[in-house]
Formats: sequence, structure tokens, C-alpha cells
Amino acid sequence: MSETYELAVIGAGPAGMEAAISACQAGVKTVVIDNYPQAGGQYYKALPAAFTASRNSRAEKEGDYLTAQLATMPATKIYNAQAWGIFEEEKGEGWLVAIDGLDAPKEVHTRMLILANGAYETPVAFPGWTLPGVITCGAALTLVKTWRVAPGKVALVTGTGPLLLSAAAHLIEAGVRVVGVCETTRILPKGILYGPTMLGQWQRLQEGAKYLSVMRRGKTPYKTGWSIVEAHGKDHVEEAVIAKVDINSVPIAGTEQTVKVDTVVSGFGLIPNTDLARMIGCKLEYNSKKGGWVPVRDETLQTSLPGVYMAGDGAGIGGAENSRLEGRIVGVAAAVRVGKMSIRKAEEINRKMKPELAQQRRFGRLLGDLFSPKPGLSSLAHDETIICRCEELNKKEILAAIADGGESVTWVKRMTRAGMGMCQGRSCGRQVAQLIAQQNSLDPGQVLPDTQRPPERPIRLEILEENTER
Amino acid sequence: MRINQTGSLLPKVQRGNPVKINVDGKPMDAYEGETVAAALLAAGVYTFHLSLKNKEPRSMYCGMGSCMDCLVTVDGRQSLRACMTQVAEGMQVETCKDPDL
Repeated sequence: MSETYELAVIGAGPAGMEAAISACQAGVKTVVIDNYPQAGGQYYKALPAAFTASRNSRAEKEGDYLTAQLATMPATKIYNAQAWGIFEEEKGEGWLVAIDGLDAPKEVHTRMLILANGAYETPVAFPGWTLPGVITCGAALTLVKTWRVAPGKVALVTGTGPLLLSAAAHLIEAGVRVVGVCETTRILPKGILYGPTMLGQWQRLQEGAKYLSVMRRGKTPYKTGWSIVEAHGKDHVEEAVIAKVDINSVPIAGTEQTVKVDTVVSGFGLIPNTDLARMIGCKLEYNSKKGGWVPVRDETLQTSLPGVYMAGDGAGIGGAENSRLEGRIVGVAAAVRVGKMSIRKAEEINRKMKPELAQQRRFGRLLGDLFSPKPGLSSLAHDETIICRCEELNKKEILAAIADGGESVTWVKRMTRAGMGMCQGRSCGRQVAQLIAQQNSLDPGQVLPDTQRPPERPIRLEILEENTER
Repeated sequence: MRINQTGSLLPKVQRGNPVKINVDGKPMDAYEGETVAAALLAAGVYTFHLSLKNKEPRSMYCGMGSCMDCLVTVDGRQSLRACMTQVAEGMQVETCKDPDL
């Protein structure tokens, strides 16, 4: 018999951990599910449990504090397991969460859901982006910070956003020569408008200054208005071509330069992971400053489905501090919903968080406004460049399907299989949507993301066999 | 290559216990707590699998279990994500093995 909970929290990053802690403190019967062996998520990037560090940074201390607090909570923790599907209960209210993990139950039942699924990096195709040696910013940081492995000897960092500086600085400290950071956005003209918002972000400014000083030591130039245009190599990256880009991030012909590198780190901002939210039918809206399609939420961060809440970057990119605050809000809201906390107490808790939340949201809007990847980046891919990495479909094939009348990502998916592969469209979906918008002169908000069906990630076949006891 | 440098961003780290894994029939050193992807990249093995249609080399891309491009065969179980699979003593890893479909 599978267990029934009042609340299932999916994802144990900053938002999910805070949500579970708040809910447990109020006495809500809670289960937390995460696909890593331990809580922490992508922001805190906890070291593997078998590793020990001599000292911790501020973020690591914060992450350790939260994971330690969560560990003492009476919640059931299901780690190393993938929540691959959510189904409405056939009778009664609530949800069945289907799980794949070697030591995990196959399913749990819950009355309420908190989706704290975080984000993944915006994939941008350029010729050679499938070559070994091309990795995302997040992958570079995980390699260096968590696993203590250098991806190569000489790297180019390219894309948009502050994560590039963090990746570059960490690579330099790891002994990798970083030949340059090519930031596709031209920051200065717009950046000045945001001076006042930045004043409230002292810790972030300090962090940024630290990265820049490491880059100076490494003699790594920060080139704004530049982008990678191609990566070359036989079985691995051997060189990269960079070029100046215009205000829309379209490369300017004649400005190309070739650099010898064995690693290309590319990061074009984050996309909220709404896979599970889409699967169960949460209403979405388009907000380019929050990373694209995000759930419609009320003041308690409840989605269009009663008892289903979303918090953190998975509901709109806002950063770790914002995620923590949102986590507390949804944890408290869930407690109120099942009568474990009075509305008055909840309001009091939320009121205290209000000023900080407002500040974090201002900062989130700044990042979204400054660094959202520009539409011209889709011109980096040539006709023969792979867009859908899993089904190996190139831009020409996608454009042909669009010319055939494809006005939705789901339609292009049916015609070409783009997005039907192993990654379920996380790599190509956004890019296909962008091409549809461009070809049909639509706003990005007019091109819906594709339909999500279980399984959200590939699962073991035996998990689907009924009557298998574990 | 494993990093032993330290700095303001990278404090000194003590890895887990050494373990021996086996990659395509050859022994490889790894440390408890590492993922298969970390061990392979540290040893300079970059091609994890070949794409199904064009047979092009693929490796770790996203490092967080999202892109499904770092697939390897582990102890006979095919299409596992190297970035999400932890090494264990005696583990048998196979790269570039065509999955039986």
C-alpha cells in the first residue's frame, strides 16, 4: 500500500527545502522528492556526501544550514528518485505522484503539491554545439565546484548573464586558461538605469567583484557584444570562432576571430522548468523577464489548480534568495489550506518577508530585462545545424515543417519528432518556438510550449509493470 | 583532469575513498562521491556515446540530468545518465554501446 501525505514537495533546492521546512514546522504531513542523492539543488551545489571541504563559502553555509534543518524535519525524504508523472486521483481529491528510484516507492498520494522544479539553461544552437567539449555554464560549475574536475585546459566562455563570470572565475581558479568571456548582450546603455536597484544588492556586487578580480588575474578579457558563432573539431572541440554581434545578437559579418580552445562553456540564461506543471494543466502566461512561460499564480503562489503551488525559479527566474522566500510562502499557504495554521499567523509571517521579497523581485526583473537572450541568437544555427539534439533534426528540417503550416511547437513535434526524444524537448523546445515566432511574425507569447505527457524523464521499463512489489 | 588547485572560490577538498571502476574493459581510478561523468572526463574520456542517427560523438552537456546526452551503459543497464550516476567499486561502464531497441 502506498503512503498518503497532505503535501508533496517536488524538488529540494532553495525553494523546495524552505517550503518543506515551513510546512513541517506547522505540522503538515510532508514528503520531499528530489532526483539527487541529497538535498541542495543546483544553486547550492552541495559537495558529494563522501567529499569534505576545509571551509565553506557564504552560499555553501546557507545551503548546509537549510539541508541540516530539513534533515531534522519529520518529512519523508525520497532522494535519488525521479518524480516522472503526476496524475489526478481517480476518486477523492488529490494527486498520485509516480516515482522512479532504486530505493524509492513507486508512487505516493498527496492532497497538495508544491512544485519547486528549478530551471535549466536556455539552449542555443550554433554549428558544433553538439561536440564533446561544449558544455553549459551549469555543467562547468558542477564539474569544478562539486566534482573537482576541469573540463579541459583552454576554454571560451560565451552566452549572456552573470553566471558567465562565475563560471569563468571558477575555471580560472581550477587552472583552466579562459581565453575570453563573450557576453552577447551590450550591457552598458541599459545597465545604468538599474544603478539604484543594485545598491540593495551588496552581497551580489561583492561576489561579482570577486569574479572580475579573478578574471583580471587570469588576464581574461570580458567582451560584451561578442558571441561564439561556431565550434570546430573532429571528435572534440579544437577551436571556436567568435564574432561581434549587433544589438539583437545577430553576428556582424567580417568581425570573426578564431581561438584555439578545447572547451566551450555556453550559458544563455535560465528557463523555468514547467514540465510537471504543464503535465497536470496549470495555466501558464508568458513573461520574458521571468524566463518565458511561467505559471499564473495568486498571492499565495497557488497555481490555477487548487492546492497546487509553485515556488522558486521553476515558476519564474528570480534567483536563490527569491526562491527561499517563495518557498516559505507556499509552505505556509499549504499549512493554512489543511488547517494547520491560522490565516492570521500566515499573514503575519508573509508581512515580515514583504520588503525583502519586493527587493528580490526588483533584482529578478533587472536580470531578466538586461540579460534575456535576444532573438537574433537563432541566426547562429545554419541550415545543417542540429536543433533537436535527441532526434538529430537540423534547422532546415524544422523550418520546412514550419513552412508547411506549423504554428505551434506541438504541431512541429508531430511532423518532425522534434521534442519527442529522450530530453522531452528541453533542448529544442524553446528554439523551435522561437523559429515559429520568427517565421510567422508572432510574439513569443503567442507560441505555446509543447504538451507534456508522462514520463517527464526516461524511466526503467519495469517501473510500468503492474504488481511488481519492491 | 582532477583539480588540486585551491583558491578563494575553491577551498581545499578531501575526496571520498578511492574506488576502481572498469571502463570499456580497462581499469580506471575514481573516488567515492564522483559521478561516472566526472570520472570519465577526469580520465580524458570525452565521447560517452554515439548519436543514434548520424553516429556523432556526444558527451556531457548540461551536467544536471536534463539533456540526456551523456548516456552510458552501467553494469549492463543501458542509457543511464553519466552525470547522475555515482561510481561504485567494481562498476562496469561501457561507452558508445548501441542500445538494443
